[in-house]
Amino acid sequence: MNRKNQEIKLFCEFVIPPMLIWASIVVAPLFYGLYLTFTNWNGLSNDFSLIGFTNYISVFTDSTFLTSLGKTFLYVFFVVIFSNVLGIALALLLTTAIKGRGLFRTCFFAANMIGGIIMGYIWNYIFSFAMTKIGEVTGWGLFETSWLTAPTTALVALIIVTVWQMSGYLMVIYIAGITNISADILEAAKIDGANAWQMFANIKLPMIASSITICTFMAISKAFMSFDVNLALTAGGPYKSTELLAFKIYQTAFSNFEYGKGQAEAVVLFIIVAIISMIQVRVSKSKEVNA
Amino acid sequence: MAEREFSTAGMAGMKQNRIVSNIIIFVVVLVLAVLFVMPFFLMVLNSFKLSTEFIANPFSWPVEFHFENYSNAFNTMNFLNSFINSILICVIATVVSTSLSAMNAYVLTRFAGWKINKFLYMILIAAMVVPFQVIMIPLVKIYGSTFGLSNNIWMVTFIHIGLNIPFPTFLFCGFIGGIPRDLDEAAMIDGASMEGTFFKIIFPLLKPIIITSIVFTALSIWNDYILASTFLSVKEVKTLPLMTYSFLATRSADYAPMMAGLVLMMLPVLILYMVGQKYIIGGIVAGSVKG
Repeated sequence: MNRKNQEIKLFCEFVIPPMLIWASIVVAPLFYGLYLTFTNWNGLSNDFSLIGFTNYISVFTDSTFLTSLGKTFLYVFFVVIFSNVLGIALALLLTTAIKGRGLFRTCFFAANMIGGIIMGYIWNYIFSFAMTKIGEVTGWGLFETSWLTAPTTALVALIIVTVWQMSGYLMVIYIAGITNISADILEAAKIDGANAWQMFANIKLPMIASSITICTFMAISKAFMSFDVNLALTAGGPYKSTELLAFKIYQTAFSNFEYGKGQAEAVVLFIIVAIISMIQVRVSKSKEVNA
Repeated sequence: MAEREFSTAGMAGMKQNRIVSNIIIFVVVLVLAVLFVMPFFLMVLNSFKLSTEFIANPFSWPVEFHFENYSNAFNTMNFLNSFINSILICVIATVVSTSLSAMNAYVLTRFAGWKINKFLYMILIAAMVVPFQVIMIPLVKIYGSTFGLSNNIWMVTFIHIGLNIPFPTFLFCGFIGGIPRDLDEAAMIDGASMEGTFFKIIFPLLKPIIITSIVFTALSIWNDYILASTFLSVKEVKTLPLMTYSFLATRSADYAPMMAGLVLMMLPVLILYMVGQKYIIGGIVAGSVKG
């Protein structure tokens, strides 16, 4: 057998199987899903017909969808900002000369190992019982009623829990970024008399620009797809006020049996995530070059 | 002379400053770490109490340790059964998707000049931004209703394999690119087949990136709720996150066993984290570098 035939044989053995599996799980459903958005399929019957853009029109004229979209943007915005700020802060603290850094890192990262369902429930109990107990003892009005019973505080609670989980993950990436900065540069700055803030703003921050790009990208896509925490912490409540997009899609399809509309919502989510990620990576990359 | 005294005094002062600032940083980190770990601690503490005790004060030490909460949760959650389901899905899908991705990446990087390989690599990368929500409903429609494969853990395993081809392939491509081709050539001159070269020479060299891939894949599969929930609705086939959710969502006031249930759920992952922390954190750093 000549070389070329051997190579083709290897291609058939090594590339075709994984690509076929992937295509059957991702590519085919993606296109089929696009097709479904133009039908009136209800999830049960096997005959359905094409209905044009009706599903998309009903998505964008549905005020609950628009509210959900607005809340999702708020949620993603605050999660991305706070988890990155906290992640960088933790990374800076853990790259100083303090004792027990390894142990602290273990603590901060632990929340990432736990799935969203468990985390959501843990915090559900914290907000419903532990925080109210603190309110009862201290008399602080802020904690007297459970945060999960009012729309605004419930959304804040969702943001807190997501930040609590995500910042440990981002911290690990930032620690790697900071430890990669050459010691010579830091030493030189120190000799020149730079204080801690100057070291951070003028050296460390620009040097971790690529980590910031990656972490922001990760935070954006993870936050847009938040489902488990949403389900276990607030279950969309109170009064459906905290239904984030990913959760809303699930509800539309599997609770209201509006499959075509749910799929149309999912396509909208996909387009939003794709556009925002593209813009973000462009913008951050251009900043990296300047730095 | 005077100058020298001044400088040593200055040095001593700086040293003292450094010690003071290190102590301050240590205390800040310690407080943050306690805040981060507090939810876990409260869960474990309250899992040994009576429900009434928990409601009265979530922060109190248990009057008496009620280990029966655990056996109670273990039985109602059908723990052993769902644990086995979770393990089967997770181990098989992780092993298969990691091996297939390594093989896939080998051909895609070694024959990178082929147009088809360039194209396949490009669409694999592009498809990584596809949110699961977009293919969720079509997957249920195609495999669940048309093929009648709902409540089948092998179907869920197969979907997990498909979902976990792109990212590991991407990781392996980056790594294999750094392995000199001379190694392959030498093995083939010695008479090894192309397949043999990969499995005997290249595969063992991939160990670090295999660990990274396993960490990412296994964690996402182990903690998956949304995919499993759309396919598995019968008690016998449910995975741990599904069982936890139905256990917690259907009971209303019996908090103590619920918390024992959450601890039982967390335990396997936390043990894995303690043992393999180095690889998990290393894996996340490796996975972010190429992002």
